[in-house]
Amino acid sequence: MALVAALAISGTLFTTRVRLLVRLIRAGAPTQRTGDVPRRVRNEAEIVLGQSKLLQRLGPGLMHAFIFWGFLVLAPTILIAMIGIVDRHATLPWLGHQGWYALLVDIFCVLVLVGVVAAVWIRKVQKPKRFQGSHLGEADLILGLIATIVISLLLWHASRIALHLNEWPASWSPVSNALSHLFADNQATKVLERVFVWIHVLTILSFLAYLPRSKHLHIVVAAFNVWFGRTRARGRLEPLKFDDPDVPEEDLRFGAGTAKDLTWKQVLDTFACTECGRCQDACPAFATGKILSPKLVIMGLRDLVLAQDTETPLVGEAVPADMVWDCVTCGACVQACPVSIEHVDHIVDLRRHLVMVEASFPAEAEPMLRDVERASNPWGKAQSERGDWAAGLGVKILEPSDPAPEYLYWVGCAGSFDERARRTTEATAKLLKNAGVDFAILGPRESCTGDPARRIGNEYVFQAFAEQNVETLNDAGVTKVVTGCPHCFNTLANEYPDFGGRYEVIHHSELLSNLVRDGRIKPNRGDGLKITYHDSCYLARHNDVLDAPRDIVSAIGEPVEMRRSRKQTFCCGAGGAHMWMEERASPINEERVREAAATGAGTLAVACPFCTVMLDDGVQSAGAELRVADVATLLSEAIDDG
Amino acid sequence: MNVLVCVKRVPLTGGKIVLTDDQRAISTRHLGFTISPHEECGCEEAVRLIEQHGGTSTVLTLGPPEAEEQLRDMMAIGIDNAIHLVSDGPEEWDPQATATAIVAAIQQAPEPYDLILFGNESADAGNYQVAIRVAHKLGLPVVTGIKGIAVQDGTLRLEQEVAGGRDVYEVPMPAVVTVKEGINLPRYPSVPGRLRAKRKPLDASSPARPEPRLEMVKLVLPPGSGKQAEVLGDGPQAAPAVVTVLTELGLV
Amino acid sequence: MSVLVFVEDPSDELSQQALTFARTLGQDVQAVAINDRDGYAPAAWGQALAAAARERTPSSLIAPGTDRGNEVLAHVAAELDLPMAANCTAVSPGDPVTVTRVRWGGSLLEEARLHGSPALLTVAPHAVAADPDDAAALADLETIDPAGEAVVRVSERVQAETAGVSLVDADVVVSGGRGVGSSEGFAVIEELAALLGGAVGCSRAVTSAGWRPHTDQVGQTGTKVSPSLYIACGISGATQHMAGCKGAKKLLAINPDREASIFASADYAVIGDLHEVVPAISAEIRKVRGG
Repeated sequence: MALVAALAISGTLFTTRVRLLVRLIRAGAPTQRTGDVPRRVRNEAEIVLGQSKLLQRLGPGLMHAFIFWGFLVLAPTILIAMIGIVDRHATLPWLGHQGWYALLVDIFCVLVLVGVVAAVWIRKVQKPKRFQGSHLGEADLILGLIATIVISLLLWHASRIALHLNEWPASWSPVSNALSHLFADNQATKVLERVFVWIHVLTILSFLAYLPRSKHLHIVVAAFNVWFGRTRARGRLEPLKFDDPDVPEEDLRFGAGTAKDLTWKQVLDTFACTECGRCQDACPAFATGKILSPKLVIMGLRDLVLAQDTETPLVGEAVPADMVWDCVTCGACVQACPVSIEHVDHIVDLRRHLVMVEASFPAEAEPMLRDVERASNPWGKAQSERGDWAAGLGVKILEPSDPAPEYLYWVGCAGSFDERARRTTEATAKLLKNAGVDFAILGPRESCTGDPARRIGNEYVFQAFAEQNVETLNDAGVTKVVTGCPHCFNTLANEYPDFGGRYEVIHHSELLSNLVRDGRIKPNRGDGLKITYHDSCYLARHNDVLDAPRDIVSAIGEPVEMRRSRKQTFCCGAGGAHMWMEERASPINEERVREAAATGAGTLAVACPFCTVMLDDGVQSAGAELRVADVATLLSEAIDDG
Repeated sequence: MNVLVCVKRVPLTGGKIVLTDDQRAISTRHLGFTISPHEECGCEEAVRLIEQHGGTSTVLTLGPPEAEEQLRDMMAIGIDNAIHLVSDGPEEWDPQATATAIVAAIQQAPEPYDLILFGNESADAGNYQVAIRVAHKLGLPVVTGIKGIAVQDGTLRLEQEVAGGRDVYEVPMPAVVTVKEGINLPRYPSVPGRLRAKRKPLDASSPARPEPRLEMVKLVLPPGSGKQAEVLGDGPQAAPAVVTVLTELGLV
Repeated sequence: MSVLVFVEDPSDELSQQALTFARTLGQDVQAVAINDRDGYAPAAWGQALAAAARERTPSSLIAPGTDRGNEVLAHVAAELDLPMAANCTAVSPGDPVTVTRVRWGGSLLEEARLHGSPALLTVAPHAVAADPDDAAALADLETIDPAGEAVVRVSERVQAETAGVSLVDADVVVSGGRGVGSSEGFAVIEELAALLGGAVGCSRAVTSAGWRPHTDQVGQTGTKVSPSLYIACGISGATQHMAGCKGAKKLLAINPDREASIFASADYAVIGDLHEVVPAISAEIRKVRGG
């Protein structure tokens, strides 16, 4: 039968392609993405069914939601249509007769068409920049196919109503019913009814064959990609193993050099990409004129994967090196992505190969890498001087034989050695002392957490630090750590557990806001002190600390929010080891400073030493009238003996 | 060609030097370690020469057990073998003792070396003489302060920076050469290189230390300049005060 | 107790200083230079001095602590199998002779004893001021011939392409460190140096980052400078770097960090970001000159 033949052809085309894709996925390097099932179920419900990521932009989100929910509701009509081809008098038992279902079908057909029209308007009239670099022709074809499927369904239903063949009460499908008046109960309509159902089914079957060869593959892959998305802290990078007794050295994975090095999740990521460009829109590097587009990175990798090319280096033509180095690992792309692609993991893996195998990285980062390894801090200053800021402040420096304090105050390299960040450290120490908190610092025994080395791609050096610091902290019996640096926070809380270090880690803004709430610190609110708070990417996006710094700001002044705030915050530009790298094109920090200045606030509050330095630099170079200060500094100025 | 590079483990001192209580050493608590920059360039040069001309390279150090770290670091950038003359105890080896131990190790090497590289002077003691003593004992020519090495038909063409230009020496191999930082830019080690370095051959022995003839009595921090910097101002507003000083110094 | 002094260049103040230094060991000072008509040949020159030492049996043999002075004296030491102390700032006669010598490019001093005779030592540059009488005495200088076969000799001299003021000779050096941030950032440093007729220097972090060539590096393993004024911009003051600029008569440090160790060695300080301060200084200079 013609239908069987069509099904067979379409099915074969679909299956052979899917087999290839599955093979490519399974050929990927291993990665651990099971466990934590309740969280995964929740993600499916929220992100896939609920379209929560897509709805971060209401207009395009609704447009897509209509089409997606429409697809779910209309799915049974595919079967109904095929049954209808075989026997024009038959339909799905029970469902085919339900009036409420026919109503739903009608409503969603209209909603899908509304969605398609909206999509066309967005693409053809609005033409947003996020589509730069995407394959627009494919999208047009897909929209056309969707419209054809839905219109042919409506017309088929309409013609069936006209022929009194409808198995459902016609009044329950108002749209089809209205359309049915276009047709008379005659021979012409009988022919048209067959034409419509065949158009409908053939379009669907061609779509099926086309699907795994186009970006529309996302309708299958996205659900899997969301399921396998990370459930543990977003800020945690997955460690590499350098001393696996089961793996011969030649087969060790040092990041991603060619397509065969990608993990199966990374391969899945490339298949899930719909080229929507929301990541590109969110990327601070792209927004300031660099070539990095997270979308183009994923598309470039996808091309090499699909070409089954395991020889060509990933970084080069597929992904230009500048794209790899421009990234500040802020995670805005991952936050924006509706199908849970983890671009930062890709970029860091590309960096890992470049740094660890090829020793190829921007020259200006070399002093930082050498210094962090030899001197234990990225500025190459003497560790013996690390605790010098504490002289005269009565801060306890923990010696190896001392009992553990309640809180170990992890100062971090910037907080110890950078003069602007040091002000925050001094303010924090004074506040904690005044509030009677039992804390101590490690002083010279605190080395760099290794974050800059890890983010630039030198996983090997990072692991040496992780192991060393965990040993120091564990030997000291530390259980609670408070830190002022979100990068240290992220590494200590989310990454050190992989190396045997499990501590309760709290950001200084959280501890300080608790102390304010408990009345142990009593700040005065400054009259007319308008403060806008800048969320640090590593604090807000990677670690969900959003409210504590805001509580402090509200206690001391009048808060005013920037548009890009909380999880939509715009990076200061220092992440991904960019504190030590040069920047091309227009600077990210100036872009953010302009946004802050536009709020009319006189003070730009931060909660991170890197943000402090970058945004202060940005204020100088952009010539803005803003004072940049950490919430701890502002708090210490707001208390009576501050 | 067969190249030997001699290096010395030294601390990274930072902004100020602190002495031990007995004033016979620098306090290295919380300090990182490295080899002096001249020597690092020497190792890079050795790796480049072997890449260009084929052969084997070896790195040697006379130092404490921890100095193995420096040997492995140099093997990570491509040096093939290491020789560790393990010194026991905190007492220093003076230049003559150092040279004697190095010469003994060289004479025991299975293959003679064509080129023996040193840094121009060590970062810490800065005695400027070990290479020359080694060369004398081996009866080899020695050239110091080199910023460029080229090899052709068993002859070395060496360039040394002097005021106004470069002096060129042409010397037959085998020879001893001391190099200065700037001769090349040392490469950053790859991780596969580091992992291989862990397994590369390292020959360790413990020579006996003779009595020093240049005997260190104690170390002394130089007297502070006693300077109290005159703060001319904060930020760009200090510019006029600065120019006043420049004028006083006769520079404007 | 006679003292033999190797004079590298009678017109050079370091050789003159060596002569003055030698007088602390005895009044019978014999200054000697090596005939250089066949060019510099370190081993042959060392042999000649060693022979002179055997013949004349001085109590000590002194040389200036220059590249060549250290090299030639090391050859003498190797030839005679005697200890040699390089870069001494002070010496006391005796048996054994005791010296104070330089370590870590000047950031540390060592007191040491020389067990051997004659005592061989080179004089740290500017450890003493040259006595004008000694300089005059060098007008009448004995010259000896190099000895032995000069396998190692300078075969040719390649002239440098001169581009601007040479770092080692400059009277003013404007130097940039990590704080400059990029190679383009050096434009303000170059501007100020040009206005003052000086040379541009940099720290080791800068050459390591690839922003300036090694020939611009000031430090223990770079060039050692002794200008009238050294302006250190964005340089924290690591001992490695200070070893290269401690010869400066005056040092102006520009750094945003009040606690930076460079301020301990500075004569003048400006607390601020070099990207703002240095252009302001240049503008002020132009104003003063133009107006």
